[in-house]
Amino acid sequence: MVASGTRQIRPAPVDGFPTPTSDLQTTTENILKARFEYVKASPNDFTADGPVLHRNAHLQFLLRNLIQGFPARYRSQDASQPWLFFWTLQGFSVLGVGMDESTRKRTIETILALQHPFGGFAGGPGQFPHLLPTYASVCALAIVGHPGENGAWDQIDRKKMYNFFMSLKQSDGSFLVSHHAEVDVRGIYCLLAVATMLDILTPELLTGTPEFIASCQTYEGGFGSASFPDWALSNDGSVKDVSAPRPPLGEAHGGYTFCATASWVLLQPYIQTYYPARSLSAPCIDIHGLLRWVTHMQGSAIELGGFKGRTNKLVDGCYSWWVGGCVVLVEGLLGIEKHSGGKEGREGEDSNEHAWGDVDDSLFNREALQEYVLIAGQHAAGGLIDKPPKPADAYHTLYCLSGLSAAQHRVVPIDERKAELLSAWVDAPSDRTKDEATSRLRKRAFVDMLSWVEEEGTVVYVGGAANRLNATHPLLNLTATHVEAMMAHFYGQKTPMRGAGTSA
Amino acid sequence: MSYIEEDEESGPPLYCERPEWADVTPIPQYEGVSSPIAPIFYTPDYKDATDYFRGIVKTGETSERVLELTEDIIRMNPAHYSAWQYRYRTLLALNAPLDAELRLMDDFAVNNLKTYQVWHHRRLLITHLTVSTPGAKPTADPLDTAQAELEFIVHVLDVDTKNYHTWSYRQWLLAHFDDSALWLGELPYVDELLQADVRNNSAWHHRYFVVFGRGSKAQATPAEEAEVLQREIRYVKGKISFAPNNISAWNYLRGILEYSKTPFSSQAVFAESYTVRRAPWDDEDVVDLDNPKPSTDADLPSVSAMDFLAEAYAREGGDSITKAVDLWKALANQHDTMRKKYWEFRIKESLETKSG
Repeated sequence: MVASGTRQIRPAPVDGFPTPTSDLQTTTENILKARFEYVKASPNDFTADGPVLHRNAHLQFLLRNLIQGFPARYRSQDASQPWLFFWTLQGFSVLGVGMDESTRKRTIETILALQHPFGGFAGGPGQFPHLLPTYASVCALAIVGHPGENGAWDQIDRKKMYNFFMSLKQSDGSFLVSHHAEVDVRGIYCLLAVATMLDILTPELLTGTPEFIASCQTYEGGFGSASFPDWALSNDGSVKDVSAPRPPLGEAHGGYTFCATASWVLLQPYIQTYYPARSLSAPCIDIHGLLRWVTHMQGSAIELGGFKGRTNKLVDGCYSWWVGGCVVLVEGLLGIEKHSGGKEGREGEDSNEHAWGDVDDSLFNREALQEYVLIAGQHAAGGLIDKPPKPADAYHTLYCLSGLSAAQHRVVPIDERKAELLSAWVDAPSDRTKDEATSRLRKRAFVDMLSWVEEEGTVVYVGGAANRLNATHPLLNLTATHVEAMMAHFYGQKTPMRGAGTSA
Repeated sequence: MSYIEEDEESGPPLYCERPEWADVTPIPQYEGVSSPIAPIFYTPDYKDATDYFRGIVKTGETSERVLELTEDIIRMNPAHYSAWQYRYRTLLALNAPLDAELRLMDDFAVNNLKTYQVWHHRRLLITHLTVSTPGAKPTADPLDTAQAELEFIVHVLDVDTKNYHTWSYRQWLLAHFDDSALWLGELPYVDELLQADVRNNSAWHHRYFVVFGRGSKAQATPAEEAEVLQREIRYVKGKISFAPNNISAWNYLRGILEYSKTPFSSQAVFAESYTVRRAPWDDEDVVDLDNPKPSTDADLPSVSAMDFLAEAYAREGGDSITKAVDLWKALANQHDTMRKKYWEFRIKESLETKSG
């Protein structure tokens, strides 16, 4: 293990030129260093196998929130209630804990009370529909719901949801997160994830969206929140000035970079289906620049290998997922996973002087990220955190756990799985009423999403297998079981068993 | 600010106790749900106000008292986006003075820096105040308004120099009003911030936005553009010289070279002196203004400089790739071991390209 071996614990170089940024960095390094020493000396936290995941304490934390409720300081989340549900429920899923029938029923009733009469879900009852709570609600329902009368899935009004989405669409291909509200790539990610899961993707919905996402990439390689359209585009979305820039608003940021990268992956079925046919030049992003940015967000050994959300900012447990979990999406865009498909891919490399002795081709330090979450991310009283001495909260609990899971399991698009899904695909009767391209779009959306499965023989458990978490889908942050069940239902498909016998 | 200083007991009466609200039917949050999951424990005043808000939304009322109610809710929970939305609609319906609303927002902005809604509401107000409709002049002069906003933001950034929403709002203001008088003041401001903290990445990003974000809109001649590029290269190299491990500055250098399609190799001589522990030229008296040397306190070699130089070699191709590989190996095995897998990927990829 990295933690117990010799490690270079060097403070970030200050060049004899301290500034407020480096002062804060130094303070944080000292906190993390002290934390590391404390944990390593504590038999409860650190055994011969390495750092311990306090699974039960986190379960109790989640259970307390779910059953007893949230303390008054969560008032600030009153307009994000579905997020509280999703963070809690998905926390259980990652920890491998199922829900009893009556809790499921209560959860379904609660979430359905957030569906707005005009479509979409709101942050709370009687509030207005919004893309972010819509994603959180649908994901929470993927976990607790099922088909049928009281299962919630068939109570989602997909027609109205689609109309709600279209009502938010802007001429530059972006979407407002809610009426009279802001545009940013978080909302677009939420919309694309939901539209893909619920089988409501159409070319009309997606026109211009790839171009918008591409315009949000900054010179650093990561993505900012949005971009400015008015120099390049007229109000109707037509091109006003080809040479005019669409500059990103805000610097490259971990949360926006995850959302933009995942959006880019979710848009691939649309791009592949429609761009060649319309002989449009497909927009592109700088994938190598993106890879450099995401990998450079991983902090050094003294920062225990946690991830930052921006250049020269501090590590924070939540970026374990937003940035650590984003690396595999970038690898997918680079096509790296194709080199790593099992033994055959590796044989030819034996003569290579840079033979990789590792179990996989991940481009970030998986062991170090696990150490960050295990050592710096756990609160003694249960729940997970940004960094010591912050209190635990529902948000950090999920994203630390999901990040830890993403560092343990390598979930990538696997060609064999894709072939299985393609051969099992059945055109729904309704497809005949749509045009051929739309049928191809939904087939690709379904197959691409479910092709992400765990690569065999690549698990890494820092602290031993007792720390094992369930794998989570890199695009949705749901387990494969939940994604498959919900999508099979909405696409009218039966998903084939995995022939290669991949992960549980 | 009304009652914000008062304590709980002597707080204002709840809406349910006020006769002027008696005609509104409050709607409890989970009306039809017998036992909602994961409830939040609200304070009585918040529960009361939001019950009345749901009542108002149901009837669709847009009146003065809705402004009072929504302000109340927003003060208790600035992330309540529906209260903001409904407030905005009500302001428009009432034809309320938006400049007064903007002043009210000033202290909201400072106290709720991290809330999306505060900044978006501001943007809606500013847009509405300065829009010209056919036959009618805008309520406020666009340029004056934008100028005042930029000044206001300076105070906010004083409190938090990296606030994301504030920066993206500032960038939107510049692009939306797009007046050279506004753009002009930005460079001195950015310089001031970088003087105070050369590692402030938000300030570097803003510099890029201000100098290169306008692209063809800046309407500079090719000669002017070349001059600006040289000025920026000089500027960033100067900043690198006294904090050579500052990745923000290196990213800026990479960014502007990329933007102007200038080969990285044009800066290889500069970068090289930052990739070695102690260089022979340390003792030289000759000052090369184009290629400032690292300060005496610099911690060398700088990982960012090695990354830059390797990139320059790799892009040159041919035999230079070997030099890139050597640097990447040193990064992977000694100087930046956390990113070992990334550097090894670069090695593998460049060798594949070379042989393929």
